Parts: sequence; C-alpha cells; structure tokens
Amino acid sequence: MTVTPTKPAETLAPAKGAKTTPARGKRTNRKQLLAIWLFLVPAAVLGLYFKFIPMVEGIRLSLFKVQPFLGDVFVGFDNYIRVLTDARFMEALGHTVVLGLTQTLGALVVGFVLALLLEGQSRSLWVLRTAIFLPVVTALAVVGEIWRILYFPTADGPLNNILSWVGLGPLQFLNGTDTALWSIAVVGIWSGAPYNMVIILAGLTGVDRSLYESAGVDGATIWQRLRYITLPALRPSIVIVLTLAAIRSLRSFTEVYVLTGGGPAGSTEVWMTRMYSLGFQRNDIGVASAAAVLLLVVTLLLTVGTQLLARRKALR
Amino acid sequence: MSQSSTRTPARASKPSASARFDSALGWSPRFGTNMALRIVLCVLVFCVFALPFLAVISGAFDRNSSPTEISLLPKTFTLQNFEAAAQQGLWGYLLNSLVVAGGGLLLQMTVSVFAAYSLSRKKFRGQALVMLLVLMTMMLPEEVIGIPLSLVLGDLPLLGIGLRGTVLAVILPVGIWGFSIFIMSEFMKEIPGEIEEAARLDGVGEFRMLFTIILPLCKPALGVIGIFGFMMVWDQYLLPLIAANDPSDYTLTVALSVLRNDTTVGPGVLLAGAVMAMIPSLLVYLFLQRSMIRGITSGATKG
Amino acid sequence: MDSKKMSRSRAAVALTIASAAVLTGCGAGSSAPAATDDGQPIEVWARAGTDAATTYAALFKEFTAKTGVQVNFQGVPDLDQQLQTRAASKKLPDIVINDSAALGNYTAQGYLQTLDKSTVAGNDKIADSLWDEAKGLDGATYGVPFSRQTMVTMIRKDWREKLGLPVPKTQEDLAALAQAFATQDPDGNGQADTYGMTVPGSTERGYLGWWASSYIWQDGGSYLKDEGDGKYAATASSAEAEKGVTWIKQQFCTPGNTQPGALTAATSVASPFFQTGKTGIILTGPYNLTAFDTALGKDTYEVIEAPKGSVDNTVLAEGENIYVTASNGKPEQTRKVIDYLVSPDGQKAGMTAGKQPIVRVPVNADVDAASVYNDPRWGVVQDALKDSSKAFPSAINFVPVKQAAAEALNKIVSDCGSDNVASGLKDLDTAINNELTSQNAKS
Repeated sequence: MTVTPTKPAETLAPAKGAKTTPARGKRTNRKQLLAIWLFLVPAAVLGLYFKFIPMVEGIRLSLFKVQPFLGDVFVGFDNYIRVLTDARFMEALGHTVVLGLTQTLGALVVGFVLALLLEGQSRSLWVLRTAIFLPVVTALAVVGEIWRILYFPTADGPLNNILSWVGLGPLQFLNGTDTALWSIAVVGIWSGAPYNMVIILAGLTGVDRSLYESAGVDGATIWQRLRYITLPALRPSIVIVLTLAAIRSLRSFTEVYVLTGGGPAGSTEVWMTRMYSLGFQRNDIGVASAAAVLLLVVTLLLTVGTQLLARRKALR
Repeated sequence: MSQSSTRTPARASKPSASARFDSALGWSPRFGTNMALRIVLCVLVFCVFALPFLAVISGAFDRNSSPTEISLLPKTFTLQNFEAAAQQGLWGYLLNSLVVAGGGLLLQMTVSVFAAYSLSRKKFRGQALVMLLVLMTMMLPEEVIGIPLSLVLGDLPLLGIGLRGTVLAVILPVGIWGFSIFIMSEFMKEIPGEIEEAARLDGVGEFRMLFTIILPLCKPALGVIGIFGFMMVWDQYLLPLIAANDPSDYTLTVALSVLRNDTTVGPGVLLAGAVMAMIPSLLVYLFLQRSMIRGITSGATKG
Repeated sequence: MDSKKMSRSRAAVALTIASAAVLTGCGAGSSAPAATDDGQPIEVWARAGTDAATTYAALFKEFTAKTGVQVNFQGVPDLDQQLQTRAASKKLPDIVINDSAALGNYTAQGYLQTLDKSTVAGNDKIADSLWDEAKGLDGATYGVPFSRQTMVTMIRKDWREKLGLPVPKTQEDLAALAQAFATQDPDGNGQADTYGMTVPGSTERGYLGWWASSYIWQDGGSYLKDEGDGKYAATASSAEAEKGVTWIKQQFCTPGNTQPGALTAATSVASPFFQTGKTGIILTGPYNLTAFDTALGKDTYEVIEAPKGSVDNTVLAEGENIYVTASNGKPEQTRKVIDYLVSPDGQKAGMTAGKQPIVRVPVNADVDAASVYNDPRWGVVQDALKDSSKAFPSAINFVPVKQAAAEALNKIVSDCGSDNVASGLKDLDTAINNELTSQNAKS
C-alpha cells in the first residue's frame, strides 16, 4: 500500500464535497444514512435536553424581566438596551477583545514552542510534560492565589525580586491601572499554553516521519522543515486551538474575578464581569441573559469566521 | 544551530539518523550543544510552569501556611492539614467526584466518538450546520442556562422523570460536550478515504469500521478528549451544585469552593484540598500521554 | 436524492430547535400557587457552612424537644442560587434565615409574607430601630431580626505599645498609627515589611463600598438618605461625604498606610495580612475573632472603640433576619419557631450550641453578648451596635448601590495624582440615582 503523507489538499478532499468513488447503489446509501442518524442520536438527545432546551429558555428570558416566583414580565429589548448603554460595558468589551487576542496568540505560540521542545519518548520528558501540565489541572482559584503573591507590588515581591536581577524596577502588576490587564493576560497564557501543548503534541504524532527524512536528504534546514512540513501538518490542530480560543476567550471570567475583581478603576473589566455586576448581583437574570445572548452572537460570528477561514486556506 | 553540521555524517550512522527524524525539531539524542540547549530550555520551562506548584504542595504540608507568601519548602512539616481536610469530609467529596468523573467521561467519550464519526466520515447536507450547533452548545455561559437547566433536571420534558439528587443529574448533562465532538471530528477527518474504501471492499459494516479501522488511528485524539473531558467533568461547579439535593452529594470542586468562603477554615486545609483535587487529573494525564506521543514503531498514517 | 437529504437534514435541525422552543414554552411565567400546609415538617433554610450548620442543628433539636414541632433544617452554603432554583419551581422553603440586606431583593421578587410584629412573643425586647430595619418600601414588616453585629476596629496591641503610641481616638490618630506601623518596624525584624491598615479595596461584590461606609458616616456623609415614604435620594456628593472620601484617598495614596495590592483585594485576600502579622489595623466583623485568636493569640491584639471622624464614630451594622416566605402555609408552627429563635434560650443556643455562632450580638435585649461569650471584647461590639451604628437601608436592594459606590471609590483612589474626589462623587450620585429610579425608590 502506498504511503499517504498528510498533505492538506489530499486529506481534505475525501472529507469535503462528494466522494470520488462512484455511488454503490441505493442500498449502501440507505444503510449509511441509517448509520449517520443512529450515531448522532445519543448526542442529539443529550444535547436537546441538557443544552438546547436550557439555551432556548435562557435566550427567551433575555426578553423578560425575570421574576421566578411572581411570574416573568415581557419587556422586549429593554434588557439589551440596558446592557448596550451601560458606560462600562463598552470599555469591558474592549478589554475582552484585547485580553482574548493576547491570550489566544500568546498561548498558541508558547504552547507550540512547548510541544516542539518536549516532544519525545524519554522518561524524563514524560515527567516533565506532566509537571508542566500542572497549571491546567489546578483550580483557578488556587492559580489566582499563587499569582497574587507572585505579583506582590512592592520591591520584595517574588516577581519584582527576579526583575531586579535584570535591573528592572518594581512593577505594580495587578495594582496599576495600565499594568493590570497585561498581568492577567500573562496568567492566562501561562495556564493556557500547556493546554495547547497537549493538542499540538497530538497533532505532531500525525506528521509522517519519512517526510522529515526526505527533507533531510534534500538538505533542508530546521526552519524550512518546520515551515513546509510541520506547520501544514499541524493545520487541523491549530484550527482546533483557534476555534476553541475564539469561543473561550470571550468568556474569560474566573481569572479576572479572582485576580482583580475588575479593578483597579475598571481597567480589567471584561464582558462576563460586567454581566455579573449588571445581572446576577442585582438578581436581574433578564439583563444577564441579554448580555449572554450578545456574547453568543459575537462568538457565533467569530467561530463561523474562523471555520470559513480554515476551510478556504485548506482548499487552496 | 548545529543541525547542519550533524546532518552530513547522518547517512553514515543509522541509529541517530532515525532518532533525529522522530521529532519536528530534530532533537538528537547525542550529547552536544544541542542537548545542552535543550536541557537549559527544559529547566527554564520547568521553573516557569511547575515551580509555583511546589509552593502549593509545600503549603499543604505546612503547619503555618501563609496566604501572603510562598515558600518552596514547608517550614514545619505536618499532616494535620490533611487530617483537618478529612474532618471536613473532603475524602467523601473526592469519592463523589471520582464517581461522577468516571461515569461522565465514559458517557462523554462514547457519545462524542459516535457523533464525530457521523460528522466527519459521512457526507450529508447540513453537516456544517450540525457542527455549528455542536459548537453553539459551548457558547452560552453556564450561569445563564443554570436555572433553566435546573428546571429540566427537576422534571424532564416529555419524560416526566426528575433527576435531582441522583448521579445521573451530573453525568447525563456532561455527556454532551462540543469540545470532544469537535476535536474527534477534526482528527477523524484527517484519515484518508482510501483506508475506508479498502475496508468497504471487504464488506466491513459501520460499527466495525468505527471500532476496528477508524478509532485505532485516532489514538492521540482519544487521549486528548480523555484528559480534557476528565478535567471538564472534574471541574464542574454549577452543575453539581444545582443537581445535589443534599450537601453530602457535592463534588470536591464544589466543597472546596464552599470552604473557601468559610472564614474559619485555615489556608492549609484549602491547600490540602487543592492538592487532593489535582492528583486524579494528573494521573489521568500521565496515563493518557502514551497515546499522545507516538511510539517508535507505530505510524499514524503509514500503510 | 440530494435535495431530499438536504431537506431532511434541514428539517431535522429545525425540528430540534422548534421542539426545544415548544418544550420550554410550557411552564413559562405563571405565578405562584397559594400557600397550603402540606403536612410536611416546616422547612427552614439558612446560609451556613458545615460548622455553622452544626449550631443550627443543635438549636433546632432543642426547639423540637421543647415544643414537639419537627423542623426540616437545611444549611445551604450557596443560598441565593438555591433559593432562585426553588423560586423557579414556585415552592420556596417555609422560613429563610438570611442577611437583613436581602429584604429589599426578596420583597421585590415577591418571596415574602408580611408579618405582624405584635404576634412575636418578646417583640418588645427587640429594639425599635431593628424592627424599622425590617420594613419594606410599603412600610409593612417583612422580617424578624435574628442576629446583629457591627464592624469593629482591631489593632496590634504589641506593635502599638512597642512604638509607644496611645490608642487612637480620632481618624487622624488612626492614620498616624498606620503610618507608624509602616515606617517604624513594629515587629522588630529589621525589614520594611509591615503596613498600616488592612483594606479590602476591590470592586468585587462592592467590598470597597462596604468598608468605606463607616468612615464616610463618621464624617457626616452617606451614600443616600431616606426621604420617607419608601423614597430615597443620593447624597454622595455632599461636602461631608467628600471629606470622608478625601481621608480615605489619603490612606490609599500614602505609601504604607494600606497593604500593597489593596486596590484589588477582596476580604479573603486582605484579612490574611492582619492574620499573618503584615498589617496592624483592621476594620472587620467579630466573626474573625476566633480566627485571629488562633493565629495571633488573644493578647497580641485589641478590640477598640472606633476612632471618631469629624462628627462621630459610627460603624456599619449588619445582621440576619428571619423571613417567612409566600409559600408558607403553616402559621402556627412558624410562630413557634420565630418565638423560640428570638427568645433568650434560642438566642443563647445560637451563640453557643455548636462549633460556630450563628447569633453574633443577640437582638434580644435580655441577653448580654459579653457574658454569654465570656469575653469583654463582645461588649465593645454590643455597645457600638446600640450607640453608634448604622445599617444600609434594607427596604431597597442595596447591593447595586454598594457596587456603584465601590466602583466609584476604586476609581477615585487609584489615581493619586489627580484631584478627582468631587467629580468622582458626582458620578456616583448619578449612578445611585439611576439605580434608585430603576427600583422605583427615587424621591
């Protein structure tokens, strides 16, 4: 059997559009059709009950003033107007985008580097990879506590201590209005990179080793090898990482809440913290739902965009 | 880098040549500046990512762990934090978490594998739409669907069964996770159609196709959804909270969160709890790594 | 074939969403059923962690022994979330014991029944001011006071004595003491690692607004004022409030007077600073006394009367009420439970029956906290409660006001360079007035 390298164009051809083999007649198609639906049924049933029904209800609530006991009151788009005209909401939106972009790209790059560095069979690498996975398995609250201490804003805070070795002055980190957002981004990259490392490592296993060999024979440098063999082969992994990042980054909440609570002076407010202040803290579920629906729409657009971009690049 | 210099003699020495092509960057197993660089980088990476957790672990074993400073070694070694944690019933919550995570993960992986097979290996119109729906399930924050979900759990529409207070109330909702379906689907798409063609010529049916042909080629993806799925179920907070009829049904994550808000509980106990919570996920990761790092002899897509 | 497949798939997807919509449509927005006695034991909920739950359990055991009335008690750590879930299924627990501040929210949501103060045995033992705090916007009584407490000022006695400084009596004294703690190495370890005040300056849950309220009241200002008839108006930009906020800003902007990172610290982050000997002053509730005793030792710190501002030494008072929900169809049993909970026996049980007191300062005037706890420090709390405390208005939902205050104050104090107190407080006025309008409580 011929070796089939994982070149983008070839692998995607069978996955997209019509199959190259001629139709085998209706009986195969019917059997296959049955299989499609049968295999989708568990996911569909669970999804319907535990995802879509609550989601539709959640979206419905955004049009109401929610009073669980007294009965909901229809208010049309009032909740949406409330959210969109909130002065800090627009600021929070900006912060969310900045944080999202920085964390996504940072975690992707660092995750990629980690995967390249730690790829291999040896026992020590195994242990190292597990140790580096610690930020991912630890509760976010604990991670927050650790970083609060590391970020202690005086000269004898741990990070400031290390910075002083290279001659940099003590930074305010979480305490300063212009440094707080970046400090949170660093924590996000730190806890997200090992996550991406795992996905990319899994993708690296699919790279055909014979390609590396032939590249070696052709005298390619490491950079060329990376660029022309590894990266294209990692395309699906990178698409996965970016799609998930698009969905997740807009929803970052816990790390912001734990580290700064949205301050100082609202410099780290993000979409979800605003949703909390406007909605849940006031027991105004309608407003919270409206904010969430807006989030859903933006996430949807972003996801569809990412998927389209990925498909287009692949077919090229 | 010194790669160029080690490449020309490569044709002569076979073992190091094949090893050099085992990884993307071409790390050579021989000692040299290459290895030294790698060791330095690894140490640096270890310090950045893993060292802070030494502080967590040492704090868990420290009698007077201070939440305002971190120390890498416990000042006074003691097991009392874990004893106090036992008194708070944390081991019981750990058991709840294990049951829920085990059952939930099993269901989740099964559902995801079947759904992904449909979405990636079969062609039907509306496929993109279904995938979009799958992704959409991840787009609404769980707090917003919390109350409606609790209503559904209390009384399933059309079936009229109440699930609250049962383990199923947590296992069933986590059985569907867009992330798993998405990842499995993307990895399954990479398998060339020729393999499937050949199998069909041999008259292989759908189930056999999935389990004997496609799945073995997706081991890395299974590893990924295994570890991340486990963590996703393990870290669930809102769902066990609304599903429980009794505080004794809480999972470890919920219990730790409750303790965190209790002013009389010392930081040492919280750290002990955090360490307890970390270990199962680490073990699952350790175990599943095997599938994610290719073996020297196995080939993912070769013949 | 293709188009059939296409329409079939499309139809399936559409069917999914439609069925979801239909299934959720049923059971929407109907109002609550009338309250009846279902023959089950009376259901009492309270916000309680495991330790506090033991006290409640012991207390209700005593109650059942005395009266024969069975009680189904649930200590719920995440009370708000669970209560909403129960509300959504239209069946609230019969009695809820929760913060007095929750009254505004609960009345707005229709959760509560009104109470007749005179039906409570021993209602004259509870101060009128406390009963007033349990009134809703319409003037009716919605809760029975159960437990109260005030913030107290605690100082590291050993540090203060080492530096030879007296107990601070005014806000200026307090500021000077804080500065001394930061600059004169009171713990004698040769390092500049001590600070003055422990401040939860985060906007999270409105902590800064909560902490600052005492100091603003002490200078004669306040966030809003009661105009009567269930109407309020914002007063955050008054000259007195400005004075108080200026003093607060000075503390944040003088290095050392507050602990580093105060701007983003919640109480869970700030309190450990006092507990581990990094700061010397803290304004907090008496629930921390046990923790501090264990960490620092009873003799290293002292509980003092709050230092005076320019007007007085008011501190924030908070507490818990007993609420009777609209689903409660058991008036007889409810009366017995309430009577017991506010009786001297019930109050004492709440203070001593389990691992953690659920009654801090008793509302029953016949019970003396200092003697029951055998700790004179509680006398300071009790006196402050009686003579120099104020509570946030509970008839409105004060949480958003507290949040707005925290956000405004955080903004003011984080910019030390500019003169933004007046303008920041004006913005706060606007925010508070907007909030009052949305709650139909604006005068």
